[in-house]
Amino acid sequence: MSSENAHARWRRSATTLGERSAYKKVWDGQAEDFDVASLAVAGHMDEATMDLTARGFIDTLRATVGLDPNDVILEIGCGIGRIGKPLSRECLHWFGADISGGMLGHAAARLRGLPNTSLVELSTVGLQEFPSDAFDLVYCTIVFMHLFEWDRYRYVEEAFRVLRPGGRCYFDNYPLDSEHGWKVFTEGARYPLDRRPAHISMASTREELGIYLAKAGFQDVRIHDLPNELIAATGQKPG
Amino acid sequence: MDGPSPVTPSPEDPSLRIAALQAEIEGVKQREAAFRAKMVHEFLDRGERNTLLHVLREERAALIRREQEAFADLEAFTRKLEAERATVLGLQDELGRIRGSWSWRLAAPLRALGRILSHARPTPSPGANPPAAGGVFTYYLHTSPFRIYRDPTFTLRGWAWPNDGRAVTAVRINLDGRLFVGRHGLEEPEVIDRHGPQPANPLPGFEIAFETPPGGHLLSLEAQIENSEWRSIVTTSIWCEPRLP
Repeated sequence: MSSENAHARWRRSATTLGERSAYKKVWDGQAEDFDVASLAVAGHMDEATMDLTARGFIDTLRATVGLDPNDVILEIGCGIGRIGKPLSRECLHWFGADISGGMLGHAAARLRGLPNTSLVELSTVGLQEFPSDAFDLVYCTIVFMHLFEWDRYRYVEEAFRVLRPGGRCYFDNYPLDSEHGWKVFTEGARYPLDRRPAHISMASTREELGIYLAKAGFQDVRIHDLPNELIAATGQKPG
Repeated sequence: MDGPSPVTPSPEDPSLRIAALQAEIEGVKQREAAFRAKMVHEFLDRGERNTLLHVLREERAALIRREQEAFADLEAFTRKLEAERATVLGLQDELGRIRGSWSWRLAAPLRALGRILSHARPTPSPGANPPAAGGVFTYYLHTSPFRIYRDPTFTLRGWAWPNDGRAVTAVRINLDGRLFVGRHGLEEPEVIDRHGPQPANPLPGFEIAFETPPGGHLLSLEAQIENSEWRSIVTTSIWCEPRLP
């Protein structure tokens, strides 16, 4: 084959792999109607189940990083605002950030009438829309499995920047070394190479999450095994 | 009295002081958190205007507007060309009829005599400042003259220099013989960066405001070279059609 063909093929393959990085496109594509968006981000569509799972997550936050009524909180990848709705009743102000404007459109409808909530569309990977040293707590749940590792770390770095000194962070993913994690991994492995969905779930390891938080500068880094078969990494910005 | 008497805490009671201090700390924490939430909102408001996303949206909207205007102008130009073509065809038919007539054929010797005599006559001297043809310029027009002119005036902006290295000492618009002198010697740092130093024309920018009365006109952008001859940079037909109220 000629080198020109090889270059063309290389460009095409780069585009295919790059689809995962086109987070805005991928998630806007899944936000066309509320039911599809709910399934994509929460795995179910009914409000009662969503509220129940959100309350379960709030309990997890309380147990791992603590919650204070004066907290100014940022959620990275808030989707349709599943957690923001109940959590906003337990903090001073809740900010939800997402790269998908379509998802935020659904979130805005769900959070109508809650004055201490704000939604922000991220222009790209990172939290460049937010100032430094602003938040008491930054968390990101059920998001890392859809990101490339570099982008996971980018959000950890950015969380460090936007947290006030003494602020806490929380990031979760499913672990490769659990039964569930291995099942998801082997299911993903069965996809033909050229038909892997851009948003396919990818596990983390405990070491990976711990390294991200430590390299970003967090102290008191801990890895938690959660009852729902996820692992969470938490840490505190030196204050 | 039965039982112990109720305890009235004194102002010096440490537990009360601790509670008061804790309430004060809580109040300070709340005010500080509220301040940070407000700071985030202000940052977001300011950021919304400055983010790349916003800039790109503004640029896209401007490009769409420009594209729409350009399409409208092209459509108008197409209609004008069709009308002109119909006029030309009509005139060609009329010319054919005239040339086919008896009177045209009878007058042929007289026209031949007239052509011989006109060659013998001296050429009339040109007007005060007719532009010399064939001037070669490097130029760019920031405000394109290729448009339908809707407003009563228009300002042409751009930059130019003659390729023979001489200096431009004035610029003007010649619109059907009416002259509109403009400003020249304006800075164009990016142009100089791109094309290199222009010793005779270090400030090659210009702008010329001119009237655009309704109708079709011949527009010529002209430059005076070293305080002497005027040379045409670009010439084009233009159409001025005021906006309908």
